[in-house]
Amino acid sequence: MKKGGEGCGPAASSVMIDMILTYDFMQRALIAGLVIGIISPMVGLFLVVRRLSLIADALAHVTLSGVAAGLLLQKQFPAFQTFNPMISGMMFSLTASVFVERLRQWYRSYQELAIPVILSGGIGLGVVLISAADGFSVDVAGYLFGSILAVSPSEIGAIIGAGVLVVAVILLFYKELFALSFDEESAMFAGIPRRSINILFGLVVALVITASIRVVGILLVSGLITLPVAAAMQLASGFKKTLFLSILFAQVSVFCGLAAAFYLDWASGGTIVLVSVLILLVVGGGKRLIRRVLRSGNGVRRRDAS
Amino acid sequence: MNETVLKMDDVDFSFGEQKVLEGIDLNLLPGERMALVGPNGSGKSTLLKLALGAYRPDRGRIFLFNTPLRQFRDWSRIGYVSQKANSFNQAFPATLREVVASGLYGKLGLFRWMKERDWHRVDAVIEQAGLAELAHRNIGELSGGQQQRAFVARALVGDPDLLVLDEPTVGVDAPSVDHLFRLLADLHREKGISLLLVTHDIETAKPYVDRVVRLNRRIAFPGNDEKRKPMQVVEG
Repeated sequence: MKKGGEGCGPAASSVMIDMILTYDFMQRALIAGLVIGIISPMVGLFLVVRRLSLIADALAHVTLSGVAAGLLLQKQFPAFQTFNPMISGMMFSLTASVFVERLRQWYRSYQELAIPVILSGGIGLGVVLISAADGFSVDVAGYLFGSILAVSPSEIGAIIGAGVLVVAVILLFYKELFALSFDEESAMFAGIPRRSINILFGLVVALVITASIRVVGILLVSGLITLPVAAAMQLASGFKKTLFLSILFAQVSVFCGLAAAFYLDWASGGTIVLVSVLILLVVGGGKRLIRRVLRSGNGVRRRDAS
Repeated sequence: MNETVLKMDDVDFSFGEQKVLEGIDLNLLPGERMALVGPNGSGKSTLLKLALGAYRPDRGRIFLFNTPLRQFRDWSRIGYVSQKANSFNQAFPATLREVVASGLYGKLGLFRWMKERDWHRVDAVIEQAGLAELAHRNIGELSGGQQQRAFVARALVGDPDLLVLDEPTVGVDAPSVDHLFRLLADLHREKGISLLLVTHDIETAKPYVDRVVRLNRRIAFPGNDEKRKPMQVVEG
């Protein structure tokens, strides 16, 4: 699907708008990108400030084992021929999210231990299931690296549903999530139901990951969840502003990924994550450069004054 | 029974095999300001956490505002300033105003939003803490003393009857400590708020409290219960 090397410039975007109006798969890609670009940084911000960004990675790897289990079912049992392996992927990551919270309680002083336990368990099971099936007819790489242009009509419904649910939960429990993220102990003493909110949040993270896999892939999901947040934290003051800015950065990354997939036939997930890294570097580098210029400017003025 | 803000009745507590507190009797009366002092590891912070229900005692009974701790739900009557206030995630991307507002979230309860008068309350408390011009700065950009006052403001924003402070002077410069204690004195005078503070810095706290209770690993010497064990009370 090579259409020349326009990238995401203005001329290219007018061609892309035509394509979006013409083709269903482009409309689905656009909607999926829009939804994922909102919900990923939304949960990402809470994960990053709680120093739990790697949980996204762990749950994504568990999703792989769920997807593999689904594909195995599909292959072995005729009754499951139409079964969507994303459903078993989601069930696996939802279950794992509850375990993460439980494991964090077990190892209170080594809370990050939950992550390698879940991550390696997930990928181990996934690999075993794939080998047990002796290969699949579908492309497992699509799940690993994402393909935004291949979002099917049934998947787009699920992505929109997940998006609505995630936004609703984050907005409804914004206060509690903020208080728990900032200072879990004080929030608990203020009567905020810590355990149930944490479990609910874990479920939401699992939902975001499953919904994002089509767009960025299992291996890159955590990039879209954390990188836009990391960039926004360099710039914004305040939690809400950081949230809006990270959504903006995520949207830019997703649309560049969509454009690259469409014009250059590049992997959407890879492009999305690379653009996110680029934004992070530009924002972080630019901020430091401006600070240095200002500081040297002040130095000159001070010298002039003396 | 007269109202007590906090009552501990023959409370024992241990971490695993190690007894941390034993036979603790304590009464904190309405409007009273009490300092708990003792060396490191004497169980001061543990006592606060027991009183706030974070740990369950091995033995004995605890009451908050005359309600048995396990049935106590009115958490908005208590403001808590943690010891960790100075070692929180300094890069947390929230403004001072957002942090102080979070002190109201427990009181508001689920599915209720901040209304305009809640924000007025937030701004008034920030003003009272002398931090008005810093309200929109990120919390990590403030000095240790300003952060500590911000955390006190967060504890006060819900208008509590009891303020609990765990080592409020650690990592705070001297002028800020002074400012903090004057703020607490004003609150006590204006609203009759009760204070329970844990500190190892008794000299600074002494002029501002009514009663000093010394705690040493196992036994507290309570202030106002004549029948109990011997008292070591320093009147402030």
